[in-house]
Amino acid sequence: MSSSPPSSPIDPSLPLRAKGGDRQAFAQLVELCYPRSLRFALHMVGNREDAEEAVQDTFVRVYHHLGRFRDDGRFEPWLFRILANRCRTVLAKRRRHAEVIQYGDVPDHGAPTMVEGPDWMEEIHKVLATLPVEQREAFLLHHVEELAYEEIAAVTGVKLSALRMRVKRACDLLRVRLAEVRRDDR
Amino acid sequence: MIDERDAVIEAVRGRLRASVADQADPRAVARILSAAFAAPAPSRWRRWLDAWHLPVMSRVGAAVVAVIALAAGFVARGVLPNRAPVDPMAVTGEFPIPVTPASDPRSGAVATQFVFEAPAAQSVALVGDFNGWVPTAAPLVRLRSGVWTVTVPLMPGRHVYAFLVDGARLEADPRAAAVVDADYGRPSSVVMVPGR
Repeated sequence: MSSSPPSSPIDPSLPLRAKGGDRQAFAQLVELCYPRSLRFALHMVGNREDAEEAVQDTFVRVYHHLGRFRDDGRFEPWLFRILANRCRTVLAKRRRHAEVIQYGDVPDHGAPTMVEGPDWMEEIHKVLATLPVEQREAFLLHHVEELAYEEIAAVTGVKLSALRMRVKRACDLLRVRLAEVRRDDR
Repeated sequence: MIDERDAVIEAVRGRLRASVADQADPRAVARILSAAFAAPAPSRWRRWLDAWHLPVMSRVGAAVVAVIALAAGFVARGVLPNRAPVDPMAVTGEFPIPVTPASDPRSGAVATQFVFEAPAAQSVALVGDFNGWVPTAAPLVRLRSGVWTVTVPLMPGRHVYAFLVDGARLEADPRAAAVVDADYGRPSSVVMVPGR
């Protein structure tokens, strides 16, 4: 298992240089932010193909909208705001697709495509997938991507108090459902 | 402040954080850069719609926008001149994100990605018969891994090219079938761009 992607290695001048048309700077931004972006997208949408598409789509949007990036802003919350929207779009498309499939064959999901390693990882992913999207998003942004609540509020447009409640509920559900899964396994 | 962390949450957090490699896959980064640099900039309307975050717009909001767009379409139909047909690849979806780089539907050019590994190089440029072998026409972007990449629109057909390293040394593309240019004896490669 590899070590986790670094939390915030972004040189503040990098997005500004990219905004000024420096393609090299944009390439560095993509390289630096790709691991965290892919991680967030994987845990949000649950499979690699959709996650990679969401991440690519996000960076293309970022590139074409760099002019909107505030010079005094932090790049990562801005990036995650776009990425979170892309992930929601992917999930919405999948829901529509699932509705269609219900009238035909039962889809064969097979083994979860993002699961590797010990069993507990698989359990975590299964339980994570059962959380409401907004709770999963808030939990991942705060606990995994380590964004401050204020930054997540900027990402999601949700008030701080509601955001804290989402994260708390996500944690409560994770505890309860993981305990249930482990109890069933015994 | 609600402190929701405990041993379970810490364990979950640790597992999730370690689930993705800490280095970006150079191929994925090159693919993203190709898509970003090759995709046409969104129109002013697209930017305006993006600003409203259409993907998460409520159903009521989406319905209102759809009705307005429909009405505008009917008005424009009687006012605007007919346009030439547009390649569907350029208009389907919210963004023309290509798996292989996008093409220009008007000129027939096919955006083509070049990748070159040169970790020690300070600069790499793509030169070829399509850009008059001009060193400044198509500089490559360096990734941290030492891989350089650029995407350029090429017309279908056979093109001869090489990489100019550090402004002084021509190198053939090791990924392509190398040929030697008969006129100048310089190392060069051939790319065959398929017609669409």
